[in-house]
Amino acid sequence: MVTVNSKQNPSSERLNIVVLVKPVPDPKEPPKFKPDGTLDRLSMKLVMNPYDKYAVEAALQLREALGGIVIGVSMAPPHAIDALREALAMGVDEFILLSDPRLAGSDTLATSYALSMVVKKLWSKLGKVDLVLCGVESSDSNTAHIGPEVAEWLGLPSVSYVDKILEVSGGYVKVKKLIEGGYMVIRVKMPAVLTIAGTSYTPRIPTLRDVITARRKQITTLNADDVSIDTSKVGLLGSPTRVIKMWAAEIKRRGKIFTDTDIDRLIDNFLAELRKDGVKLK
Amino acid sequence: MSKIFVYAEVVEEGIAEPSLELIGRARELADKHGFSVSAMLVGFGVRKLADELIYRGASEVHVVDNEVLSKYNLLFYTRAIVEVVENEKPDIFLFPATTTGRELAPRVAARLGTGITADCTAIEIGDYVDPITGKKYEKLLYQIRPTFGGTIMAAIVTPNHRPQMATVRPGVYSVPPRDTSRSGRIKEWTIDFSEEDVGCLEVLEVKRERRKVDLRSAKIIVSGGRGARPEGFKLIRELAELLGGEVGASRAAVDAGWISYDHQVGLTGQTVKPDIYIAVGISGAIQHVVGMKDSKIIIAINKDPEAPIFRIADYGLVGDLFVIIPKLIERLKVAKS
Ligand SMILES: Cc1cc2nc3c(=O)[nH]c(=O)nc-3n(C[C@H](O)[C@H](O)[C@H](O)COP(=O)(O)OP(=O)(O)OC[C@H]3O[C@@H](n4cnc5c(N)ncnc54)[C@H](O)[C@@H]3O)c2cc1C
Ligand SMILES: Nc1ncnc2c1ncn2[C@@H]1O[C@H](COP(=O)(O)O)[C@@H](O)[C@H]1O
Repeated sequence: MVTVNSKQNPSSERLNIVVLVKPVPDPKEPPKFKPDGTLDRLSMKLVMNPYDKYAVEAALQLREALGGIVIGVSMAPPHAIDALREALAMGVDEFILLSDPRLAGSDTLATSYALSMVVKKLWSKLGKVDLVLCGVESSDSNTAHIGPEVAEWLGLPSVSYVDKILEVSGGYVKVKKLIEGGYMVIRVKMPAVLTIAGTSYTPRIPTLRDVITARRKQITTLNADDVSIDTSKVGLLGSPTRVIKMWAAEIKRRGKIFTDTDIDRLIDNFLAELRKDGVKLK
Repeated sequence: MSKIFVYAEVVEEGIAEPSLELIGRARELADKHGFSVSAMLVGFGVRKLADELIYRGASEVHVVDNEVLSKYNLLFYTRAIVEVVENEKPDIFLFPATTTGRELAPRVAARLGTGITADCTAIEIGDYVDPITGKKYEKLLYQIRPTFGGTIMAAIVTPNHRPQMATVRPGVYSVPPRDTSRSGRIKEWTIDFSEEDVGCLEVLEVKRERRKVDLRSAKIIVSGGRGARPEGFKLIRELAELLGGEVGASRAAVDAGWISYDHQVGLTGQTVKPDIYIAVGISGAIQHVVGMKDSKIIIAINKDPEAPIFRIADYGLVGDLFVIIPKLIERLKVAKS
């Protein structure tokens, strides 16, 4: 399942990095609903969670600096494969897609449990996992829970909102974490889970060649039994939380957009509209 | 009586405002539905802050005051909170949706094996009938939050696991008045941290600027982002002055050093609700939007017609801010004279 690249340097800091990547409905497209009011995830095109690109970029930079391997892990329906190809094109070495109808409806506790079981499986295959990197949050659920919860299931330290990984040495990783009004510098023993906030990483844009190479990279699909998941702890029934209602958020905005290459006319129209609507700037 | 617990986050100035807001909201819900309100205070030298929590509405404060907690340490804090929860068995546990709350609460929830909802914009108490079993639950915590980048709202419950947990967005509830005639019980806990892995996670440095400017009472805010650059901020200041408003900023502008943190709007800045919010060269990332989306009127100036900020704007001016703002200033000055 796991390929080891012999070209990499054999130093002891070589890192086995797992990146959790969530395939999400394309944030640029409006959500689709089923007649019962729940989200129709299956009919929505899935892309890689935009925030996860920063985590992938951070992982790739570490691999480039220290050697090692970057393995992507996703839990999603089978049609998520295209989204995973995006991460592979960026440079992730290989992917594991955990896909099983019994996982549908999992909340964050159940999802983090399932993902932690995949990490455990990788751990025993590889002998060690040094870092588990996540995005800061997903664009569809925006919870930021999965990172700290996966860490809890694995019994590992975690740091959320990591702006930058400053240093990896002697079995420790030093990170800069965003907080209100500034930052913290934290030293954590590896293995550790980090959620990457992104502001210091610019995700690379794959070339056509990268895209083609990515087609040959391996995506292994596993089901719940393959990673010894206790199915009573996942899915709708294994999840402590229940969504009782969903509704479209009321956005009561006027949405008047002015585009005019003639700047005077643009301002005229805008100010006239404000007057019409009775809005006073002063 | 069923208990509502509120995590009392401590910052240099004392109890963090978002925690006081939650004490206030918990008190309202408790009075209406028959719960008690307890605060959970963790840190070193924090015992002296317990009274403040009582004055704001807690009837009980659980204090874990220990030298190993002098710097925020996620693992020690989780340990302390979980031990108190296992003994006290609260029904509901609320955390502020600050950067601290949003990493601490899910760890506590996972260790307790319970559910949690992130970044709620409202919390209520209500009943629930399980559609599968037909079982009726009374007085559950309704955890209400936007999802899908803010386009959808969801109401969530945790019927069978305790505590029912949520983080709640700062600024949605107001800080309750301080009533020094209130009294309550303070319970101190001694927790043995010797089993914990001491060097596992260590805060080496904290840099936190204190906020000196309060944007919350401003009627007009003109905010600049990465697109404004230092030169743009000159224009933004000028426009703000002309309109009698304050200057705001995105985190990108603050991180670039163009303006101080005092002016930052958003998840890790201030939550503002002016009559008019003018976003200049700001893309509209969710972390910025949560801090300003309740402004009465939103005006956006951005050269990218696809910028997400236009989706929440009342008026959007597509174009170069360096052309638009000087013109706008010119026109407003003319109108004035
Ligand atoms: C944990 C965490 C907390 C955060 N907290 C906050 C927070 O509190 N507040 C906050 O704001 N952000 C916060 N962020 C950061 C947030 O994710 C975004 O990175 C940030 O808001 C982007 O700022 P921006 O819109 O100024 O920059 P960008 O996203 O780079 O947008 C710049 C915009 O300027 C436009 N532009 C460029 N030049 C011009 C021109 N000449 N004329 C007109 N338009 C122009 C561009 O089209 C673009 O839309 C946080 C992030 C994390 C992970
Ligand atoms: N289904 C999933 N598969 C893989 N990674 C996930 C999944 N859900 C969440 N994550 C990871 O956890 C992060 C936070 O997501 P969330 O807690 O949903 O906001 C994401 O950025 C991903 O790195």
